[in-house]
Amino acid sequence: MEFSIETIGLTKSFGAIKAVDNLNLCVSSNSIHGFLGPNGAGKSTTIKILVGLLRADSGRAKILGADAKGDDPRTRQKVGYLPELPKFPKHLTGQELLEIYGQMYGMSQSQLKTDVPKLLETVGLTGRGKSRIGGYSKGMQQRLGIAQALLSDPELLILDEPSIGLDPVGMVEVRDLIKSIAGHGRTVLLSSHLLYEVEQMCTHVTIVNHGVSLASGPIEEVTKHLSGKTSLEVEVVNMKDSIEEAIRKMPFVSSLTRKEQHLSIQLQTKDDVRTQISQLITRNGGIIVHMAQHGNDLESVFLQLVSKSEEKAK
Amino acid sequence: MTKEKPLVKDSIYRFLAVVRYEMLWHIRKKKVLGLVILVFSLATLSFVLPVVLGSIYNRPVNADPDHVINAGAFLGELGFFLLAIVTAMNSISGEFESGTIAPLLTKPVSRTVVFLGKLFATFLILLLTYSFYFLYMAVGGSIVYGPQNSLQLLPLVLLGSLISTFVWVSIVLAIGSLSRSSLTAALGAFGVWLGLSLGIGIFSAASGEIWILNYVPGGGARGFMKTGEGAPNSGPIVQAGIGSIGDNLVKFFLNPAAEVNFLSARTPLYTESLSLILTRSVIVAIIYIAVFSFIAWFALKRAQIAE
Repeated sequence: MEFSIETIGLTKSFGAIKAVDNLNLCVSSNSIHGFLGPNGAGKSTTIKILVGLLRADSGRAKILGADAKGDDPRTRQKVGYLPELPKFPKHLTGQELLEIYGQMYGMSQSQLKTDVPKLLETVGLTGRGKSRIGGYSKGMQQRLGIAQALLSDPELLILDEPSIGLDPVGMVEVRDLIKSIAGHGRTVLLSSHLLYEVEQMCTHVTIVNHGVSLASGPIEEVTKHLSGKTSLEVEVVNMKDSIEEAIRKMPFVSSLTRKEQHLSIQLQTKDDVRTQISQLITRNGGIIVHMAQHGNDLESVFLQLVSKSEEKAK
Repeated sequence: MTKEKPLVKDSIYRFLAVVRYEMLWHIRKKKVLGLVILVFSLATLSFVLPVVLGSIYNRPVNADPDHVINAGAFLGELGFFLLAIVTAMNSISGEFESGTIAPLLTKPVSRTVVFLGKLFATFLILLLTYSFYFLYMAVGGSIVYGPQNSLQLLPLVLLGSLISTFVWVSIVLAIGSLSRSSLTAALGAFGVWLGLSLGIGIFSAASGEIWILNYVPGGGARGFMKTGEGAPNSGPIVQAGIGSIGDNLVKFFLNPAAEVNFLSARTPLYTESLSLILTRSVIVAIIYIAVFSFIAWFALKRAQIAE
């Protein structure tokens, strides 16, 4: 498999604190890879090593096949990067900033004339391109940050917390934008501490804490292999004892508690058994008004892994 | 997005992007504009004040054919220092302070190109400021003080002023890059300037105008141009340091064979040719610029951006 990003034993300390600890990270090409971890887990430090803002103490990092070490502009040519809470010179206008950065990418003036207005439109900054960045809101600066990351039509897009500072509508727009970008053959590494965001957008995930990789792979595999006990919460109209008895007899059910028309079913399997349970309830005359499976989602896996990692750290 | 691949990829094109980035910063920053306005106001005052006073006391302004050629000396060491501070104090450290360094250094231009672009933009801004200043002095001086001598030598004053200012620019950049603080850059450079100004004054009063003064930023040792058979301190004053290159370039072009007496109290210490003084001050200035620019570049090249 081809990797757009590969780190081997990457380590970085700040004084006595190990921000990244022997990290092995593999990001497959053409994937949207979520880089998930609580605040201070080492996500931004890893990304800064990848884009050349920090130097690793030891280990190797490769971006698009080239060693990412130090000040190498050639590696950065094919990479778009959105820093966490990006800051841009306040005296420039959004359009000037994109034109100047575009020129740094070697884009021709004619290319900039056509691409910059389109980009501003894509990120929802139409009509604000000629305003000074000093007058932009946080959300607008974030949108401009996304625009400058997309400027050179990069092969690899590294986004550090892209939703920070955006309103709910903006968050949805950015998610849709990132999905559409990845659909055009690009690789996206998306750092976030928002589980929902990663689950919504990403095909792959790496979970880190204390600079250590806790799990990595396609989201479905990670959640399937690492989830613990799962349970089903069901709300049934026309609840009967026969429904309860039939469910108890299912081989994958370990226990069941009933409270009026609510059933809480503990499962011995990590498989999705909602279809079997709903068929059984309907066959016995019940009507399902709500059903939710817990324990095999990314949030459960994440919380489980992070709490284990915290215990280990203590 | 168009799928057209970048047509122009050469490093000069990218370098010019950094220059534009920095030039816009200079042009739009209020303190740079403020200082330029201050310099021009003082220059205007130097024209207007004698005319106003002359009319009040009923004394006509005397013709001074050398007024404009001494315009570099009018700016002086403090002028060069202040211009260096306002143009360079935020240049690198400001990027760290505002957090704009991260998106800048992750673009496909090397840190060396970023540094050189910033340095070149500072040079252009100083060149423009001095060009306008000397042009303004030439026009205003001719109107107030009558026909002027040696106006063709004004570019030399400009060149010398640029070299003298760039010594301070490189010092400010070095302190700024190392400390990543604009305030430290400004105060540190001011401390160096003040320390040297006071130190040189005290040193020269105690030990006379000895050679070592010519190797530190500032006016340097003060001598007197030899003029025939007069007293050793009867000729025009010559400052031998790196802050007076423009002035000395003009003096050299007007008197290529001139010699300068340096004294301790009123006793002659030594004599040097103006050509030697000029060559030495240019070399010393270039060494200062090279060393401090290298320090600033190295600090930027090796900088890690954790925040």
